[in-house]
Amino acid sequence: MHSACLRKRGWLRMTLLVAAIATTAAAHSQFDTTSRVGLGQLRVPSPDQVRLWSLGFDAAVADYYWLRAIGIVGGETGSIAQHEEVLADLIDVVTEVDPWVDHPYRFAAVWLTRDREMVERGNRLLERGISYHPLDWRNRYHLAFNYFYYLDEQPRAADVLEGAIGLEGAPLYLAPLVARLRSERGGLQVAAAFLVQMVESTEDQYKRAEYLKALDEIQIEERARLLDAARAEYWRRNGRDIERVADLLAGPDPVLQRLPRAQLYLDGFEWILEPETGQIVSSYYRGRYRLHETQTDRARKQRWREKREGVEGEGA
Amino acid sequence: MIGRIWAMAVNTAREAIRSKLLYTLLFFSLAMMLLGSVLSMLSYVERERMVQDFAFASIRLFSVAIAVFIGVGLIHKEVERRTVYTILSKPLSRAEFLIGKYTGLLLIIWLQVAIMASFFAGVSLLMGAPLGFTHLAALALIAVEVAVVVALATLFSSFTTPLLASFFSCGLWFAGHLTRDLRDHGANSSSALVREGTAWMHRILPDLESFNLSIEASHQLSVAASDIWFPALYGAGYVAIILASAAMIFERRDF
Repeated sequence: MHSACLRKRGWLRMTLLVAAIATTAAAHSQFDTTSRVGLGQLRVPSPDQVRLWSLGFDAAVADYYWLRAIGIVGGETGSIAQHEEVLADLIDVVTEVDPWVDHPYRFAAVWLTRDREMVERGNRLLERGISYHPLDWRNRYHLAFNYFYYLDEQPRAADVLEGAIGLEGAPLYLAPLVARLRSERGGLQVAAAFLVQMVESTEDQYKRAEYLKALDEIQIEERARLLDAARAEYWRRNGRDIERVADLLAGPDPVLQRLPRAQLYLDGFEWILEPETGQIVSSYYRGRYRLHETQTDRARKQRWREKREGVEGEGA
Repeated sequence: MIGRIWAMAVNTAREAIRSKLLYTLLFFSLAMMLLGSVLSMLSYVERERMVQDFAFASIRLFSVAIAVFIGVGLIHKEVERRTVYTILSKPLSRAEFLIGKYTGLLLIIWLQVAIMASFFAGVSLLMGAPLGFTHLAALALIAVEVAVVVALATLFSSFTTPLLASFFSCGLWFAGHLTRDLRDHGANSSSALVREGTAWMHRILPDLESFNLSIEASHQLSVAASDIWFPALYGAGYVAIILASAAMIFERRDF
């Protein structure tokens, strides 16, 4: 009798528990559970507030905000561009509370690209990263990229990148890249002077070889530019363009008596018309001494600029 | 005198080690460290550092929790159960009784910190996170911070109820982590009263941020010896001041 009563009570309790679980789950499914990020309502406190209230748990608090930033980029919260302000605020908090973090600075550089203001916020974060990690070349590289690609400030990009040359792990191509950046605005002489200085200041044979290679490329570019001038003269005289580079030597009144060497030290290379661009190039380099930009890069950059100008126009 | 204090400390440690709260908090601390390892998986970079950040946070949080929640009942329990009369009827001064109680609890909490630190080392090794001297220094300074918090809890326990004592201890722990920022904010104030007030608060209240080397440890930054010894000395001095005050109050108290 007593055990039957207990069993009955047990079943009653189990039924009540199951009913409670079902009711709770049903109620939970009835209301909107979109996160604050998804709703665009996430408000990030100022770094000062966070630091003040972290009460000695600075590192863990910074990690928490870092995970939130990752959640925005990796989560299903719509377009990242919509959340760039929040992302910037989050990374600002992370890097103010624990400025020794490493990756978040570059994370900001990669994602904060919606408009000029965002790129500049990313740059400020990268500058903070450089001040805490002065020996890390990567933050400087990202900062230089932002100046070059988004803000169209080649001289500044070159200055920033120059600081990364020689840092541990920095690729050998940085110095030649700085030279190329300098050549865009300052001309080939500026680029060559920079490389000569680099050659003289390094003891490393590999680096020296890389810089000398870049200097060779500049010399070939100087010759290619002479050929460009000769090509323009050919056009003026004949009313048509050359079909081959050898046309510059042809005819009773040739524009040039002879072609310069297409490679300074090796035989077997010649000047050709590059089929895609129609430019005169050395068959050794098969391209001109310029900053390399693919078609996709150019299109993307153009779209970004148009959008930026649109936003600035609206602002005005 | 040392013998009497030691006898009291051993007795207190034996009593404290039977506390279920101690084991519950220790369990949660170890669980939080494991949770930190899981949370770090959400990040695609610097996972090892995050594991250590969460582990340091866990050790600090739960050590302080143990210090406050067990420390506040330290004296009060003896008074409530009237065992204090029996103990004080022996050739033992009230100051010795208080210091003995403090030492016993501190030893048990340091043992807990050592267990948590071993677990921290194990998790770090499993995750491939580096361990170095700075980690040891950071853990040692957490132990000093805990010593200060136990002293505060003992002080409040000597004259008030456990509830109020835990409020006061937690409040001072909060304040201790805020005094540097308060002083810096106060320094920008146009009011001389606020400037001086916040500067004095920083001098008087325990500057618990001086015991925080977690960031330096998890980033493996080099730490000067003075950043370890001076805070340790400061902590020892602060503990001495609090215990002396507690002893003075306890000696004047009527049961």
